[in-house]
Amino acid sequence: MASVDVKGVSKNYGNITALKNVSLSLDTNGCIGILGPNGAGKTTLMKLITNIIKPSTGEILVNGTNVSNDPSTALRTVGSIIEQPEFYTYLTAYETMMFVCRIKGGTKEYCMSEIDRVSEITEVKGFLNRKTGTYSRGMKQRLALAVALINNPDVIVLDEPTFGLDPKGMSDIRNALNRIREQRNSIIILSTHLISEVKELCDRVIIMDEGSIVYDSEVDSVDKSLRVRFYEVPADGLNSIANEPVIEDGGKTAIFRVGKEVPNYMIIRDLMSRGAKIRDVEESSGIEEKYLEIVGRGKD
Amino acid sequence: MVQETGKFGIVVSQYFRNYYRSRSFYLMLVISLLISGLMTYFSLKYIGNLHVTFGGVSFSSLSSSLKESAVLYLWAFVLSYLPVFSAVFFGSPAISSEIENKTAYHIFPLPIKRSTLLFGKFTAAVAVSYIIVSIYTIFEIISYVILFGSFPGIVFLYSYLLLLLFIISITAFTFLVSSIFNKNMYAYITVFLLYYLIFNALYIILDFLYNYNAFFLLSEAASIIERVFIDINTTVPGSATISLNGAGSGPIGIAAIVMVIYAVISIAGSLILFDRKEVK
Repeated sequence: MASVDVKGVSKNYGNITALKNVSLSLDTNGCIGILGPNGAGKTTLMKLITNIIKPSTGEILVNGTNVSNDPSTALRTVGSIIEQPEFYTYLTAYETMMFVCRIKGGTKEYCMSEIDRVSEITEVKGFLNRKTGTYSRGMKQRLALAVALINNPDVIVLDEPTFGLDPKGMSDIRNALNRIREQRNSIIILSTHLISEVKELCDRVIIMDEGSIVYDSEVDSVDKSLRVRFYEVPADGLNSIANEPVIEDGGKTAIFRVGKEVPNYMIIRDLMSRGAKIRDVEESSGIEEKYLEIVGRGKD
Repeated sequence: MVQETGKFGIVVSQYFRNYYRSRSFYLMLVISLLISGLMTYFSLKYIGNLHVTFGGVSFSSLSSSLKESAVLYLWAFVLSYLPVFSAVFFGSPAISSEIENKTAYHIFPLPIKRSTLLFGKFTAAVAVSYIIVSIYTIFEIISYVILFGSFPGIVFLYSYLLLLLFIISITAFTFLVSSIFNKNMYAYITVFLLYYLIFNALYIILDFLYNYNAFFLLSEAASIIERVFIDINTTVPGSATISLNGAGSGPIGIAAIVMVIYAVISIAGSLILFDRKEVK
């Protein structure tokens, strides 16, 4: 079983502390979503795990090996997309993948079959023999995912893998990630701004703020326990429904926020008794509620 | 499992492929062919006018060996610029481009030592520079054979080996400069400024003011490539002397040692800097 252990890691850039004494232990296959506003330390954590930067204090172990001291061993079973990677422009996707596969210890024959496998998943087969300098952003992102998946890594580190992609590109990457996640062969660490991505792909959610981990929970439990509904009804002097006060009064309509603990029938009964009609109901995810509660509404 | 030595070979072939397909390589190829063509034309067409360069002595009156040395000296003199340009094109952006072009996000997370990446890239850069200068050298040999009816002798081999050593040291020097910066342009400009302005200024200051030959400068050490044929000695301030004999084993040894020292210190420095390089 793969493992990632972040032990008391801090990262300073001059006087700025990007990460403050972060500890984290991951030893179960599945997807871990990392959410947080800009500057929360998500990308810094991703870069530290993949040896792009080195910790100021603390250590990071992948499968028990220190990443900074022995990257050749620690990163052998790690695949990653960090920020928006670029490739050597005069090499083809095939050559790029072959290079990474061979560096990770694959034989030529094995790498050829691996390239076949990952290019199927990420749909890069059509442009395998084109030089990467001619690629669009979306093609580069798919290639980055293919490179991250080559050699069946135990640990996959993905930093905003759908950033900058059009809706089709985002959907393609998510579908590919879903297929990988379903196999449950690896630990996927997914940093993203998109709560929907974490909900769709991840089993565990971590929220970071100002360089620290401030929340860590199973996605299902937080999503169900904190789910809320928003009711939009004609104002008509309504100040509350089921004892929940109005949160927004637009003059003609009022919006009420009701927690999961208040059953739907109570709301409907209350509104009917007062002759009010529901114009719209929206349900927000529990993760979103938790995120906004932690990082503050209106922030980022 | 592929060992670090095996990875080195993979890295060299990857970077070599990326270099020889690059615009820089084709530009250098064109420059090399152009200079080679010009020098061939010069050698075959105006060989009788070389007395202009050699203090009014008629070329036809020179001894056979001196004629050969004169031709090889001129070819080597022009050649000495080629490795510098080649190293600037391939070495100056070697490290800085990984940061500027964001390819560091692709290679830093790979299970490979940074030293292997650096040595691999360095070897590839030296190899493409060898190809560029070898084209020139082939033209030189052909011209020589046409002019003198035989292949150049052992001194030519010394010159060629010193040239190969110079390519290693100048490429290492550009790698060191490149590892200091995160922007290619800064690395390009710094190499040019150091090599053509600072080194020359230092040479002139030490020579004219202190009567001291700045043998420790890489540009001065590189001049041995042509001085093995005819030793132009400028140690006496303001009055350069010309010895029609080639430089002896002493100056050759010193120049070779200087180039080796530059190569070793530059590679060690760039290794330290590259190992600590972070993409913020």
